[in-house]
Amino acid sequence: MEIPAIQTNGLTRFFGALAAVEDVTLSVAPGQFFGFLGPNGAGKSTTIKMLTGLLEPSAGTIDILGQRFGPEARELKRQIGVVPEGMALLGRLTAPEYLHFVGRMYGLDAATTNQRTEELLEFMQLAGEGRKLVTDFSHGMQKKLAMAAAVIHGPKVLFLDEPFEGVDAIAAGMLKNMLTGMINRGATVFLTTHVLEIVERLCSHVAIISKGRLVAIGSLDELRAGVASALPGVEQGQRFTLEEIFLAILGADGHPESTQELSWLL
Amino acid sequence: MAVVTRVGANGTGGGMLGRDARAQYAAIARMRWLMFRNGLRSIHGLLDLGATGIAWMLYSVFGLCLGIGLCTAAYSLASRASWQYLPILFWAISFLWLMFPIAIASFQEQSDLGILLRFPVRFGSYFILYLISGLMEASTFVGVLCCLGVWLGIVIARPDLYLWAALGLSVFAVFNILLVRAVFAWIDRWLAQRKTREILGAVFMVLFVCLLVINSVWSQKRYEGSKNHKEAAAPLREVMDKYAPLLKTGAQVQQGLPPGLGARTLQQALEQKPVAGFASLGMLGLWVVLAGGALAGRLKAQYRGENLSWASSRDKAIGRGGGWTLGGSRPFAAIVEKELRSLLRSVPLLWAVSVPLLFVLVIAGVFHRSPSSDMNSFPFAFPLCVAYALLGFTGLFYNNLGAEGAGIQLLFISPTPIRTVLLAKNLLHSILFVLVGFAAGILSCLRLGVPPFVVLAATGAWLVFALPCNLAAGIIFSLTMPYRINPGRITRPAGAQANTLPAALIQLGVLGVGVFVFWLCWSSKSRWLPVPIFLALAVGAIFVWMRILHYSDGNANQHRDSLIATLMKAE
Repeated sequence: MEIPAIQTNGLTRFFGALAAVEDVTLSVAPGQFFGFLGPNGAGKSTTIKMLTGLLEPSAGTIDILGQRFGPEARELKRQIGVVPEGMALLGRLTAPEYLHFVGRMYGLDAATTNQRTEELLEFMQLAGEGRKLVTDFSHGMQKKLAMAAAVIHGPKVLFLDEPFEGVDAIAAGMLKNMLTGMINRGATVFLTTHVLEIVERLCSHVAIISKGRLVAIGSLDELRAGVASALPGVEQGQRFTLEEIFLAILGADGHPESTQELSWLL
Repeated sequence: MAVVTRVGANGTGGGMLGRDARAQYAAIARMRWLMFRNGLRSIHGLLDLGATGIAWMLYSVFGLCLGIGLCTAAYSLASRASWQYLPILFWAISFLWLMFPIAIASFQEQSDLGILLRFPVRFGSYFILYLISGLMEASTFVGVLCCLGVWLGIVIARPDLYLWAALGLSVFAVFNILLVRAVFAWIDRWLAQRKTREILGAVFMVLFVCLLVINSVWSQKRYEGSKNHKEAAAPLREVMDKYAPLLKTGAQVQQGLPPGLGARTLQQALEQKPVAGFASLGMLGLWVVLAGGALAGRLKAQYRGENLSWASSRDKAIGRGGGWTLGGSRPFAAIVEKELRSLLRSVPLLWAVSVPLLFVLVIAGVFHRSPSSDMNSFPFAFPLCVAYALLGFTGLFYNNLGAEGAGIQLLFISPTPIRTVLLAKNLLHSILFVLVGFAAGILSCLRLGVPPFVVLAATGAWLVFALPCNLAAGIIFSLTMPYRINPGRITRPAGAQANTLPAALIQLGVLGVGVFVFWLCWSSKSRWLPVPIFLALAVGAIFVWMRILHYSDGNANQHRDSLIATLMKAE
């Protein structure tokens, strides 16, 4: 039996009395491009923070590449790359300095770090910005740098929290190609984003979380079939977009159409 | 049907005291109150409140002492009608008003009013709010207490002058408030640009060297003079005679400057020259307008949307890329290198580290009042000067993750243990402190002469004890009570007091242990005894530091959520 790249069991996180994530159990197979979706405040970022060691779960377990994941799982952390919500950049360094720093923090030797830094800066089209401090980068450039930092050590599992937010179309295309290439070489990508088209194009499997609970999980085809069987009056062979699946599953929770009007707006 | 309300030119009805503006002030006041009240929900908030209370108590004691001193001086001058010396008091107050916020800059909190710019706030309102936030600073409080002291001293001696004294001192106080606010607003701006930052740094260095040279020359004269009291007076007389024309010109020039004008107002009132008095007051008023104009000019740019970090970005873009790398590829070297680069690019941190050196000169001067004094007569001067330099490292020792910002996430994501990160930071900061302490020691020697070897040895031993004490406490504070450092500002963000004041108290405690041991041993004539005592204490301190470092991973994980949330907080 294949060991899942990511496996959670009863993952739960409370903030005071509020359950931000409750009893999330999911499994992501190696080589899968996994989309993790949900409306605002559903618990996506909280889940990804727990999966990457940025937040301690209140309950439940996380296994990555077959090993129990926790703050002390340092060797396991070498196999993981992360683009967290805040990007984890150091504003007072330049892009090459930052990548050098990250590479060395992951234990890469100087020669490898140098070589990968150059390649990554070239690939991300940041080579010309070598003298600029990270704090002065545009949001899109910072995203690209955060992505570069997430892959400099060659991770087997990549966690991406809104990696395409603020990135221009050309850079987004480039990043997508890079991620697809990684998947083809056996890496696993766990992606959260609000851009459903990207998920639809890239991800083979999707999970949807709402109010902290997992409400759907499976391949896109499985979700389509599920929605088709659940909705009345669906024609044979009708192909749902991910947006339609998303709205159908979340229903009123997703607030697809507001009938209310704001009286003061023109 | 939509109802369109007529609005003022800037999007608000009425002037800066109009209905809309007043509603905005009320909203801001309420927002501040709610933020304060909500802050008390957390232990950190309560600690911050307690620490702020203690800090203000200390400022009050300091201000009251100064106020009483100035009251006595003013009474003495007024009762003897020695009005020609009154400007000295006004100059002292002005100097204090300006220097006090610089001295405590790294302890002082500052609220950023930039958040108001997204709202339709008039410039006048923005200006007023900026001033109000300045009124709530320690320097204003201490300055006003000093002015009150002078007023009281004059009024006790000459009750008939109460109105003139009140008028003159009030305008003088307003000038100082505006001047300090303008100076800080401009310093913020200059520090944000490479060229002006370099000029400011050069000016600071030149002033520093000048002060150093003047101090050592003056000290030498006094030291030579101390051999014989009659001879002692001679160099001073020589200097006075030699520079008499210059001093006379200086005295005349100062009469046209705000402290001189403030004193002149009172002097002319005393001489029954109300018209001249009003003229001096009017001139002082012009200085108020000038200081207000300088402040308004700066604030106007901010109001128009100038972003200091944007200003800095353009010159940093052509700045040096940093072509050096520390040897070794291990995380330890990476952290040291990153820390060093960040420090060299953060003017406020460099400022905090270097300002105590300037004040070491002042402290050394305190121990040099008596012509007969030298290092042998007050052996604690050298260790106290070195210990004072430690104050500049409060931020680095006790909030050593504060400058990471969002980068704190990386420290938790990466496989490098937090204790490696803290160890690397601790060692780098220790090396820096040794360098600064060495510089402070040299400055102290230049001012007071080389201390006896036993004092040098005891100071070295005390440092071996003090450093791990501070590092150990610093690790705990950094993990449990961090605050985000804004690399573009000298002052600290709101909420930093919970860290700053206890940290200062611990530093004082460590200093207190040193003073106690020194005093005990010296009074019992066992002058070498402090060395083994401090070394023994150091062994214990190093052990505690290592244990705290050992447990820092667990401690960091325990406080991970709040650490990340605090350091990633938007500015």
